[in-house]
Amino acid sequence: MSAPLLQVEDLRVTYRAGRGTVAAVKGVSFELARGRCLGVVGESGSGKSSLARAILRLEDGVAGRVRFDGQDVRALKRPDLLAFRRRAQMVFQDPIGSLNPRLKVGSALAEVLRVHRLAKTRGAAAAQAASWLETVGLDADYAGRFPHELSGGQRQRVNLARALCVGAEFLIADEPVSALDVSVQAQILNLLKSLQERRGITWMLIGHDLAVMRHMADEVIVMKAGAVVERGAAADVLARPVHAYTKELLAAAPNVGRALDRRGSGPAVWD
Amino acid sequence: MKPTDLNGRVNGEADAVLTAAGLGVGFFAEDGRRLEVVGDVDLVLRAGRTTALVGESGCGKSITAAALGGLLPRGMALDRGEIRWADGAARGPGRGLTYVFQDPGECLDPVFTIGNQIRETLPPEERGRARERMEELLRTVGFEEPARVLASYPHQLSGGMQQRAMLAMALAGRPRVLVADEPTTALDVTVQAKILRLLADLQRAERLAVLLIAHNLGVVAEIADEVHVMYAGRIVESGPVDMLRQPRHPYVQGLLKALPRLDGSGRLEGIEGSVPPLGRRPAGCRFHPRCPLAREVCREKAPEMRACGEERAVACWACGEGGWA
Repeated sequence: MSAPLLQVEDLRVTYRAGRGTVAAVKGVSFELARGRCLGVVGESGSGKSSLARAILRLEDGVAGRVRFDGQDVRALKRPDLLAFRRRAQMVFQDPIGSLNPRLKVGSALAEVLRVHRLAKTRGAAAAQAASWLETVGLDADYAGRFPHELSGGQRQRVNLARALCVGAEFLIADEPVSALDVSVQAQILNLLKSLQERRGITWMLIGHDLAVMRHMADEVIVMKAGAVVERGAAADVLARPVHAYTKELLAAAPNVGRALDRRGSGPAVWD
Repeated sequence: MKPTDLNGRVNGEADAVLTAAGLGVGFFAEDGRRLEVVGDVDLVLRAGRTTALVGESGCGKSITAAALGGLLPRGMALDRGEIRWADGAARGPGRGLTYVFQDPGECLDPVFTIGNQIRETLPPEERGRARERMEELLRTVGFEEPARVLASYPHQLSGGMQQRAMLAMALAGRPRVLVADEPTTALDVTVQAKILRLLADLQRAERLAVLLIAHNLGVVAEIADEVHVMYAGRIVESGPVDMLRQPRHPYVQGLLKALPRLDGSGRLEGIEGSVPPLGRRPAGCRFHPRCPLAREVCREKAPEMRACGEERAVACWACGEGGWA
């Protein structure tokens, strides 16, 4: 058994609020093996996004330890920090907010490649950009389009390509599909899954949709008010929750089959 | 005694509060050309019933809702079909029909107390006993300490409490129809469940006709009585909520299969492609480029809504008589 890619130990995030302080993350620990997907479940204010930002060193007021591939992330200095920034990245919920509206998709990717010195010439950058677009399921001719000409799902694909093109191995996806329509959400979730399987990407998936977690995550942690209240294999936790809060989340999640069963009976053909 | 089915659903036009027939909304470009945003929408909203309009973004559900109350954005006009109130009266928005929207934080004015904002929505004849009426409204939406809420500013309330306050405001004018446009989409799941329960209670207790706009089929299955699924500006399938068990239209089937499930894992069956934007809607059946069942006729001619079983209708060449599904 190889060492885990990510080890988080007693991580704490504290914000200043007025004269006092607020503890957003209150001592979270976990390990994540290479090529696995950890689901972080929680509602707003649970500290899940603060946790993500603290891991990627995007947050001040952090205490505790984060080890990535054996390195102490909080102690990294250039150029090791830049290497870490390439290997560990974040994908956000709102795909349009994280793309420059004035750059064509291909130029945006090529720029990232050039900044990180991964392509020597413009031509090489453009060629690499096109091939990354194909990796995420977009035809190479999308390189010539602006973000506003793309649908939400296509933009999310571009964001993934941008993270992958500089060599991301570990991705934190913060509600990556909650702004997308149902039919497109399924396409993107399938893409995330295949990136995990084919390219060995390690994921931390943040969200509130338990059914999405069931499909994507190997393990889950459930957070409430900055602390982990339940953890385990996704299949176990979601089928047999122990903590009252996890049970409440499960009961509250809208579910077509369960709702119809409660209101009248009869089997569903799509079941 | 009105005829009802096993679920206590009222048949026919009985209890109708508002009927919309053949509604069409056009978008007018600079050169005056009309693009159809939604078309051929038939709806019957009934007292004490929740009717849901479901679909993905760009399908026209919010535009249909906005058209009912005269809230269409600039450049669009309701220029086809008609809206009839069952009592024959004509009503402007705000009285007969009120709205609750997705983001209560954006609808509330941050510099006024909740009390100030509800007071403004009270009909003139009730302003004399405003305080009493406002506390009554807040109790109706589940607040146990109405006096404290009345004195609060919006930022002092949580998202769920803000949405309750919006509901209180919507009820102030004693509407017959409440349009709830994605009322729980911005809320956490545990809060969402409470607001949905409240909506269902209000609809029953106040005999409201609720039009629920939602993209989440789970939410719809929780509280809707009737469902209309829209695709690219048209209703493609209608029926009692039970129809979600056995939808006929390939789009509706695809939507349900695309949902991640708590007892499932592995790959999801999505629908290829995405909803076509306005101006790029294909000829024939608008779903045909994404439809696994499409044939020649689907590319050439748009299917109309046809009855298929009790109170159900579907617009699909492959379904029903002469179909191949």
